[in-house]
Amino acid sequence: MLNLLTAERIKLLRSRKLWIVLSILFLFPIYQAANSKMVVHYGGKLVQATDTVINGATGILMIDKNGLTILLVMSAFISFFIGEEFQNGTIRNALSLGRSRTHYYLSKLVTAALVSLVGVVIMTVMGMVSFSVVFGFGEVAGISDYVSYALKTFSTLYVLILANVSIYVTISFLTINSGVSLVWSFLYTIGTGFGAGIFQQTEHFKQVTFWFTESFLFYSDFASPAGIAKYSEMILVSLITIVVSSALGIILFKRTDIK
Amino acid sequence: MSETILKATNVSKIYGKHKALDKVSIEIKRGVIYGLIGENGAGKSTFMRVVMGLITMNEGEIELFGESSAKGLQRARRKMGQSIETPALYPELTARENLRVQAANGGVSEREIDDLLQLMNLGHTGRKKAKNFSLGMRQRLAIASTLMTNPEFLILDEPTNGLDPSGMVEMREIIQRLVTERGITVLLSSHLLDELSQIATHYGILHEGKLINELSREELARETRQYIELETTEVEKAVAVLDELGIKDYEVINRTEMNIYERLDDVAAINRSLVLADVNVSRIGTTRQKLEDYFLQLTGGNTHA
Repeated sequence: MLNLLTAERIKLLRSRKLWIVLSILFLFPIYQAANSKMVVHYGGKLVQATDTVINGATGILMIDKNGLTILLVMSAFISFFIGEEFQNGTIRNALSLGRSRTHYYLSKLVTAALVSLVGVVIMTVMGMVSFSVVFGFGEVAGISDYVSYALKTFSTLYVLILANVSIYVTISFLTINSGVSLVWSFLYTIGTGFGAGIFQQTEHFKQVTFWFTESFLFYSDFASPAGIAKYSEMILVSLITIVVSSALGIILFKRTDIK
Repeated sequence: MSETILKATNVSKIYGKHKALDKVSIEIKRGVIYGLIGENGAGKSTFMRVVMGLITMNEGEIELFGESSAKGLQRARRKMGQSIETPALYPELTARENLRVQAANGGVSEREIDDLLQLMNLGHTGRKKAKNFSLGMRQRLAIASTLMTNPEFLILDEPTNGLDPSGMVEMREIIQRLVTERGITVLLSSHLLDELSQIATHYGILHEGKLINELSREELARETRQYIELETTEVEKAVAVLDELGIKDYEVINRTEMNIYERLDDVAAINRSLVLADVNVSRIGTTRQKLEDYFLQLTGGNTHA
């Protein structure tokens, strides 16, 4: 599998799509800091509960603030990154050498996970720096041990993103086409992000809303004690999502005919 | 006796109600250039994909380098290279980078890249991306990519497809060189028998998913070579005359027809001898069955070959 990861590294470093993704995640926090500055300049006031990031310290919540943007950017990247292997036929080059399909799948998942990690690290660091420059570092209200909080929060937010990345990888391997994968990934993101709340309206299926990681990402307050108390549940749901989607993806990919 | 590289036994592949492959059995020995001929949709690419493990078969068995278990086949495929249908390349990468990716896929050193680029006449491409290559260059790069892992068995699906005449000649020379210099066994396909006949040593003819004939280069040459066609009502007397003339390579087709395979330039002399011996000759003349005609005859006509 290390050989396959080496191949991915060569491809990625020359991939224009990767640099576009990283540029978006790099520039977005700067734009948001400038935008927030304008809001304050024209008499508005930043409120942590609604604006999420209001200073350098709350910059650790950049993933929470930009959850939907990150997911859409990553879904597009993964759809092309995997779909093009099928469409260019290059997937045959690795598989026909007797490489295990499980290893091939996992190498793509690991690569997508690493790219998303680098992306969210860049976004978070840029968010903290930009907001510190504009509003000062400040603090997160009610948090005494910031370093511990920051590590736990960033890890939890990343795992929530990773669960979706895993789903996008599965969708890409099942659809074996960039365009189709893009559509289904988009529908999944919108559907589970904004549709899962429907279960809240029912008496017996309320809990189902939180079987979807996006419900946590979009509707939890990661700076409140109630939100922080749910970190372990968020990580559990994310890990189950990653395991189930990957297992399903690998099983079905093993049965896929490669054209 | 030379080693069997590929042994496919009763391989079938069904898509819905369509049988893409119907009990195909092929055996390829080391050092052979095996040409798979068939019109578009005959099952050539499907068979190659089954051999490479890219698609599953519904029935049959594949043995590669003597291995037939799942793990064994996986090991055996590391000794193989393929270029099926369009050249599978990363369009945004240069020729060198494409080869680096394949070296990583195969877990082999990048040392051979320069030699392969030279071998395939791609040493001058520099930073030019594969998407800007001509089709001939892409085909050559795809073959270079398959050679990165130093394969013993190469599968090439229509490698001359879309190439201009000089590109076709160049591709044939490259394949020939790989066989003679590197001792590689090759399975290649084409829907042009004439094209394939210039390089292959053995042939398998696929038609509607079935292997309808297998023959060697010599057998094909015999089937399609030039000969004197003789039509007479007195075949026995004609045979005696031919024996007297010292002609040994002839064939009695039926009670009125004979084919003579030697002294093709002496039609007039043979005719004169037959007439002098009172043989009633209805027709005599040289003829040749074209490769295309032979293929059409085998497949029942409706083909592009």
